[in-house]
Amino acid sequence: MRIIYQLILLWLSLNLILYLFREKRFSYQLSAALVLILFLLRLLLIK
Amino acid sequence: MKLTSEKQMNKFHLGISLGLLLLVGLICFLTGRSFLSLHQEEPIFPSAGLTRQFRLSHYLPNLSHTPGDTRVYLFEGQEKGGNILILGGTHPNEPAGFIATVVLIENLKVKKGRIFLIPQANLSGFTHNDPFEANPQRFFLPARQGIRWFRYGSRLTNPVHQWPDPTTYTNPAGQKLAGTESRNLNRAYPGQPKGSLTEKVAWAIIQLIKSENIHLAIDLHEAAPEYPVINAMVFHERAAELAAMALMDLQMEGFDFRLEASPPNLRGLSHREWGDNTSALAVLLETANASHGRLKGKPSVALIVEGRDNNYVRAAKLGRLFVPYDERGIPLSRRVARHLAAVKTLASYLGELFPHQKVEFSDYPSPQELLQQGFQPFLHSPRQER
Repeated sequence: MRIIYQLILLWLSLNLILYLFREKRFSYQLSAALVLILFLLRLLLIK
Repeated sequence: MKLTSEKQMNKFHLGISLGLLLLVGLICFLTGRSFLSLHQEEPIFPSAGLTRQFRLSHYLPNLSHTPGDTRVYLFEGQEKGGNILILGGTHPNEPAGFIATVVLIENLKVKKGRIFLIPQANLSGFTHNDPFEANPQRFFLPARQGIRWFRYGSRLTNPVHQWPDPTTYTNPAGQKLAGTESRNLNRAYPGQPKGSLTEKVAWAIIQLIKSENIHLAIDLHEAAPEYPVINAMVFHERAAELAAMALMDLQMEGFDFRLEASPPNLRGLSHREWGDNTSALAVLLETANASHGRLKGKPSVALIVEGRDNNYVRAAKLGRLFVPYDERGIPLSRRVARHLAAVKTLASYLGELFPHQKVEFSDYPSPQELLQQGFQPFLHSPRQER
């Protein structure tokens, strides 16, 4: 169960990073970065 | 020319993206480090009277190496007598119970009978602190030499350790509650050996009470000044006589308490399930904690320790509180002193009512001295090892 959750988080995080590089508008990039923080923290700190 | 400009733009965007990614990494590192630091247990320096320290998994092996495997301190006298369990930190955002047990662990010596102390009953709850409440992660108290730090946690088990919450939670006693209450230790009794982390902790505590033949079990809490069950001694019906006798003594000592009978249909709480499922006399104690309330102003370390808040002064003047409250606030030292006075009186009357269950101790921290001198004489130096 946990590994599925982590894989989903990893998939979404990678998509956000991709979006961060593709997007040209700074405000959109910043939004993606802020969401990415939450996803990465959850991905790395889950016990 | 256009191509060069496009290349420059691409480089600029790449730079921005990389910069943002670096910022994300930095924020993750700093916040992650802060989050993980909450897993570090605060040192507790037991008095020379400590007989044994072990973990709660002693009573439920599958709790071992989980975030709920909390410390248990046993003080045993030379003579046989009564057995008492004192629980602090059921709700880690109610520090008076936690600190009262720490003060006991660092000073107490038992001559007759046994006293079990669990300072952080919901250990997982100490590893997070309700981010939307903006509470500080730690608070600080003066010790004999230096300053000691203690974690200020959450009422509930860390969701990182137990997730997801159900929409509605039916606790082991059969009561239906809001989903988040599945992480509330004081709704999880009598627990389940293969249940959630919180239910396992509750089960292990019940097993401790049964296997150690605990005669008196006390759960130390705090509540918001606007909450009706405040400055209260909540008792299971079998502990009614004990609670009534202790109350009279406490009133004479200047500690204003009210008696509250444990409602028979409010299931899952310590004072109900300990009493129904074990032979122990169960009592829960409440003090008034402004940092815990909904009317408080800015959360801060000072609010936790000094208990002063202008919003509560105003609420008291409007007659909205259930305790007297003025500009002096209700400091942690006073809240801990109340707990210590009540525990001592309950223990004393246990021996009066049942002479073979008498518990005798020395070096008990004096509530009056705590009121006058604060924590400094009662807390061990943060550095010196015993």
